[in-house]
Amino acid sequence: MKTVKTIGINSNQPVGRGFNFPYDIAINDDLGKSRIIYLLNRPNSATRLGTRIQYFTFEEEWIGEFGNPLDDDEAKFTRPVTLDFNSKNQLHVTDEATDEIKIFDSDGNFQRFIKLDSDSHRNSDQFGPAGIAIDSDDFIYVSSRYLNVIQKLTSEGRVVTEWGGAGSGPGEFEMPWGMDVDAQGNLYVADWRNDRIQKFDSEGNLLHIFGESGVAIGQFNRPSSVAVDTNMNIAVADWGNERVQILDEGGSVLNVLEGDATLSKWSHEWLDVNLDEREARNRADLKVLDLPEHLKNSYHEASQTEHKFWGPVSVKFDSDNQLYVTEHSRHRIQVFEPVNLK
Amino acid sequence: MVSTSTELIIHLMNRAGFGITPDELDACSLMTYEDLVENLLNPSESSHISDDILFRDHVDLHASRSGVPAYWAYRMISTQSPLEEKMSLFWHGIFATGNSKLNNLRTLLNQIEMFRRSGTGKFDDLLIKLSQDPAMLIWLDNQDNLNESINENYGREILELFSMGVGNYTEDDIKECARAFTGWSVANSEYMSLMAQKDSIWPYGRIVWHYDFKPGIHDVDNKEFLGEAGPFNGDDVIRIICNQEATARFIARHMYNFFVADEVPVPQWKDTPPKDPAAIDTLVEAYFKYEHDIKSVLRVLLTSDFFKESRYQKIKSPVELVIGTLRLSGEYNDDSKVDSSIFGVIAESDYMGQALCNPPSVEGWHTGEEWISSGALVDRVNFASQHIGNPDNDGVKHILNRIHADLKNDTHTIGELIESCGNSVGITRVSGDTADGVLDLFTQEEVQTNGQDTDIAIEDDTILRVLEFMVSSREYQLC
Repeated sequence: MKTVKTIGINSNQPVGRGFNFPYDIAINDDLGKSRIIYLLNRPNSATRLGTRIQYFTFEEEWIGEFGNPLDDDEAKFTRPVTLDFNSKNQLHVTDEATDEIKIFDSDGNFQRFIKLDSDSHRNSDQFGPAGIAIDSDDFIYVSSRYLNVIQKLTSEGRVVTEWGGAGSGPGEFEMPWGMDVDAQGNLYVADWRNDRIQKFDSEGNLLHIFGESGVAIGQFNRPSSVAVDTNMNIAVADWGNERVQILDEGGSVLNVLEGDATLSKWSHEWLDVNLDEREARNRADLKVLDLPEHLKNSYHEASQTEHKFWGPVSVKFDSDNQLYVTEHSRHRIQVFEPVNLK
Repeated sequence: MVSTSTELIIHLMNRAGFGITPDELDACSLMTYEDLVENLLNPSESSHISDDILFRDHVDLHASRSGVPAYWAYRMISTQSPLEEKMSLFWHGIFATGNSKLNNLRTLLNQIEMFRRSGTGKFDDLLIKLSQDPAMLIWLDNQDNLNESINENYGREILELFSMGVGNYTEDDIKECARAFTGWSVANSEYMSLMAQKDSIWPYGRIVWHYDFKPGIHDVDNKEFLGEAGPFNGDDVIRIICNQEATARFIARHMYNFFVADEVPVPQWKDTPPKDPAAIDTLVEAYFKYEHDIKSVLRVLLTSDFFKESRYQKIKSPVELVIGTLRLSGEYNDDSKVDSSIFGVIAESDYMGQALCNPPSVEGWHTGEEWISSGALVDRVNFASQHIGNPDNDGVKHILNRIHADLKNDTHTIGELIESCGNSVGITRVSGDTADGVLDLFTQEEVQTNGQDTDIAIEDDTILRVLEFMVSSREYQLC
């Protein structure tokens, strides 16, 4: 799969353009104008300063941001995790610290929140909503990192059904994270600490388990996110292995992506006014992989080069089946051509 | 009164680790002292808090953009191999490298991980790895050390601060040493050093550095170094350095200072004899006998009489005090206790004078009495009493339960309470001043006391007040 483009640039400022430890994105193709990307930043664990959602076009035209802890209102985030749109272009954002799903309109105006309840459970006093996926009927699926369950909610937040529980058996979870719903309404869950993807129907019946622990092709190391395109190809953010694996509907591996970043528009703009760095950069070989033995693993290779994925935490498809890989430790999005495109 | 072996175990774990909890003491008491030392030297498994959980909850730790002291603190608090961390801290204090210049904490963390892997191996190998460590190379400008124009910085410091000490080599030796290390550099050194200088994170965050030998700028000509001659490179120079008695003495004195008893600061070593010359001789002999193997020297040190007899002769470093207290209080020690408050908590060590990853200079921290200023002492006392005085902390709850179980009756003497609380926080010899202080505490609260034999009701609040007093005592500052 060829790279289409790279989006973004790092910024350590708590406001304004540029990413800082991006954690997830949502893509809105339905606003009658340019494709708009909503990106969640989660920098600075100590202060949460800079945690916010930024939105911009596919062409890297900056639009705005919201949810900043500096804004002392109910829109602000504490420990947000994932985001998704419903059919009404309402952005839903999980916050695992406050047990809430916060809901915004497409201009970032806070509308309401859904409070998730852990009262009926004994093993934790927190729900810890991590992943979210919304189906075509606006049912909301949310994964709980503390209770190890999936809840299906109405758009108003009423619990329709729930399944799972802590464990490594079929249908059980250990700290589940990202999710997606396919065109047939089936749910895919990144069962993070079990190193696998589990597929369920809309009632929670287990249909398939993909992968196991490991570094070989078809194995996963802490998969954080999963996305399904309209052809039922499955992209898995194999987070701990610093790669993305593409599976077909039956689970066979079609492709393994390790990243091939280019300079984004914002990066070019920055280098154009920092000529010393641009010139030194042009003389460098940032793809060098002749590493000492102790650094020969995916994490260190990613950290020592620039083009490879480093912290590929989120995968998403747009309506054209282009794949977006968000890397928290390289502060950017790499966009790839659709699967199987010749 | 506790047995001698218990005192020895506590002493060993204070020095070779970060103190000991009452439960750990129970487990260690079942082993011989020698087995305990072997377990420390050869841990079966490096068990600690999980990286995946840390990175999920503190995503900025994944790239180590910031927060490396907190990351290291998690390791030191949760490790079941405390000597591994202690040795990393030991070498971090000697091969002091600071992020203030590097602006690349991940590269510095790789150096600390190198200490963890190689810190108890052969000293020659450690020095080679150090000389190829990208954080060290940029810290001491060796990327600018060229055959046509040498930069002496690393050549000087490897002799003065990392191996032999002042007075054991000449200025010419420094130049020849620097020539041997020409070409020992990092990949893309121009771009990487420019990004470091400008503290640049653009466009896509920091790129971590790795070693790269550049033969085109390496001086292949003959060199004369410490009385030997040849076309030496860095490996040859390190071999020669490690065979010097001055090197053995220098490393032995550092180990004595770190593990046995506080010495004067390093700059005074040239003019001030060691506190215990016979102990240094023993360690020097071990260094050569075991072919520069640090683990073997450590074994000799930890089983020696001079070590066993050195209780309370060291002032805890800020990191030792902070980590030891947190291990005792049971905070941040497993996957369920990952919490962003750790960033502020580990910063307390900075205020006490020891900022991990940012030593004050290439000379490292001055230790011993220099840790104690009036401001630092207040910080140390407040920190310990705040964490040990909090009954919500799991470790403190456990201590309370143990004391209740030990003192089975509801009423005991103040003396028994003092002894039990002291033992719980690793103080086996409570001084008269500290005991008097506890008595004053009760007197101030209008409890009628008649010395330590006075009976007192054993309640949580009472125990907590005494525990807080114990960790505020002079004894708790020492190890």
